[in-house]
Amino acid sequence: MTFEPKIVGFLCNWCSYTGADLAGTSRIHYAPNVRVIRVMCSARIDPTFVLKALTDGADGVLICGCHPGDCHYSEGNYKMMRRYPLLKKLLADYGIEDERVRLEWVSASEGQRFADIVNDMTERVRALGPCSVKTDLATDMAER
Amino acid sequence: MEDLKIGVYICNCGTNIAKVVDCDAVVESAASLPGVVVSRPYKYMCSNPGQEMIVQDIKEHGLNRVVVSACSPRMHEPTFRKALQNAGVNPYFLEMANIREQCSWVHEDGAQATEKATSLTRAAVLRVAQHEPLERRSVDMCKNLLVIGAGITGMTAALDLADAGSKVYLVDRADRLGGNVARVDLTAPYLDSARDMMTERMTRVVEHPNIEVLLNSEVEDVSGFVGNFQTTIISKPADGKGTPTKVTHDVGSVIVCTGYKEFDASRITHYGYGKLPNVVTSFEFEKMLRAGRVETKEGKAPQYVAIVHCVGSRNMEFHPYCSRVCCMTALKYAQEVKSAVPGAYVSDIYIDMHAFGKGHEDFYRRSSEVKTLFLMYAKNDYPVIRKAGPKDDCEMLIEVNETLSHETIEIPADMVILMVGMEAREDSGEIARLVNISRDKDGWFIESHPKLDPVATTTDGIYIAGGCQFPKDIPDSVAQARAAAARILGRIAKGKLDIDAVFAEVDEDHCSGCRMCNELCPYTAIEYDAEKKRSHVISALCKACGACVAACPSGAIAARHFTDRQIYAQIEGVLA
Repeated sequence: MTFEPKIVGFLCNWCSYTGADLAGTSRIHYAPNVRVIRVMCSARIDPTFVLKALTDGADGVLICGCHPGDCHYSEGNYKMMRRYPLLKKLLADYGIEDERVRLEWVSASEGQRFADIVNDMTERVRALGPCSVKTDLATDMAER
Repeated sequence: MEDLKIGVYICNCGTNIAKVVDCDAVVESAASLPGVVVSRPYKYMCSNPGQEMIVQDIKEHGLNRVVVSACSPRMHEPTFRKALQNAGVNPYFLEMANIREQCSWVHEDGAQATEKATSLTRAAVLRVAQHEPLERRSVDMCKNLLVIGAGITGMTAALDLADAGSKVYLVDRADRLGGNVARVDLTAPYLDSARDMMTERMTRVVEHPNIEVLLNSEVEDVSGFVGNFQTTIISKPADGKGTPTKVTHDVGSVIVCTGYKEFDASRITHYGYGKLPNVVTSFEFEKMLRAGRVETKEGKAPQYVAIVHCVGSRNMEFHPYCSRVCCMTALKYAQEVKSAVPGAYVSDIYIDMHAFGKGHEDFYRRSSEVKTLFLMYAKNDYPVIRKAGPKDDCEMLIEVNETLSHETIEIPADMVILMVGMEAREDSGEIARLVNISRDKDGWFIESHPKLDPVATTTDGIYIAGGCQFPKDIPDSVAQARAAAARILGRIAKGKLDIDAVFAEVDEDHCSGCRMCNELCPYTAIEYDAEKKRSHVISALCKACGACVAACPSGAIAARHFTDRQIYAQIEGVLA
């Protein structure tokens, strides 16, 4: 049986969640591996959300916001854009592979783009195999 | 705290969800989750009996939380919140799981879709357990209106509101009223004069005591929220000299009516526009008609006039969409040419004849009766226009691969009219950012719902009407203008507005007074109290983006309805 990765998606309400809805109304089929959590803005995504998802067993985390310049709150996506490299640095220190956490811009009209991103990310995370953070943590806890 | 009593409802949406997702399996799985006392499927949850089922269960089982797994919350969250409210439960004790747009419509494999629907429903159940009751805020509705764009759409909306007693600020970048329709001669299909229509509108607008016309002007800023916007408008002096003036006004609503621009015909090289002097665009031809002089650059009456449809429209290379007005306008030209130059030969080179509107088919028939030669060409197989030789009795020759006869036909022309399509204005991105609305892939503004809410946008209090939303003719533009006006008047009639209870809050006990959030807030909604050395949120200005919440180093700010605990619960739910 092929490994089916579990990916948590954090989508901003105005562009990316609407774009994902558009993929639905346009009946664009894509991989069922991403579970979407809606937030009002990508700036709301606390790095702890990503860490919690990974420690709770996610194999990947997808973050989507409005394209730069198109944020509903004028500049929230820039805040996410600045936070993201710091988060990636931290994840690298933990030994979490780069492709497990991804930031993408998806507008309200980009249903196809959302589907393409989900398919691509699912394939990449599938190739990486399960994320070991959850089991590593459990082992660490048991040893203490 | 009282015991959790959660009701879970899995919508079949007819077969939209049920044909892919095993709804009964989702129901069964949800039934075993902590706090769930009722778990049911239903054919259409949004229907009256569906909503009534929730209300009855609330009464019968004392439910205090509700999860509806159905379509996107962007579609029916307000519907179900209302159902909770009707049953006396705080509307924010609802959570929806999107198992249609983001599940059954995008996945083929039933087992995987069912697993995903189960997982999303579980996340919603865990999240709703963390919900808090919130009270909606009531604010005043300012009667004043800002209209951006003074074409036929903007003027019509302005007049409706002004007649009803609102003060209207009607702004246009141009130095005149009227927009694109003011460039048109007669209108299809009844051949009434655009000039007469516009004169009536313009005179009324200019003379109306409640309308302030600001030409040569741009809206620099729109801040605030529905019912309570502040706008800054910059006006250049009419003569171009002197310093621009800046005014600020309070308005309750904004209607964007910025229209469209015509396609640049020189982008299609096959037509020789800009090189062959007698190849003109439809707007250039309108100018001739308005001046009453249909003649070539050389001053001669054209004996052969050819009209080419879909210039820049219905073409993957330029714009894939139909511009909607050109077919009827082309037929109008056929009739106008015949009356301006009796005996002229008119050929009409088209892809498909779109005659969908009221009176359009009759108009098409009448145009055929005046002996117009119709030639059909295939999409992307452009007719080629070239200069005629010295022996020809015409200026140009057009080669058309005619699809009905399957022949290549060469036709003479002294004048060619290119039916240029409509495209989004270059400043549409700027306008979208100014009033905080979205654009589609072609640059047109996106409406709140394509069928049920066509003139509202995702920003409450901002409306769109006319050609800026998508190409449309005068009747449709005017209908949208009046629809937007009616939407606003409905709210003015009510006097007060209920606005969302979702905003950020600072827990002053945990705030360290670092002021990081003050700088982050795009709406300057966070104020620092120097005496207390604490920050606090001005809730009326907060738009609930949550940027400050994620940034607060003390974790002292909570986003109501999007708290850390609620999102953590959702993460646990999808990964359980």
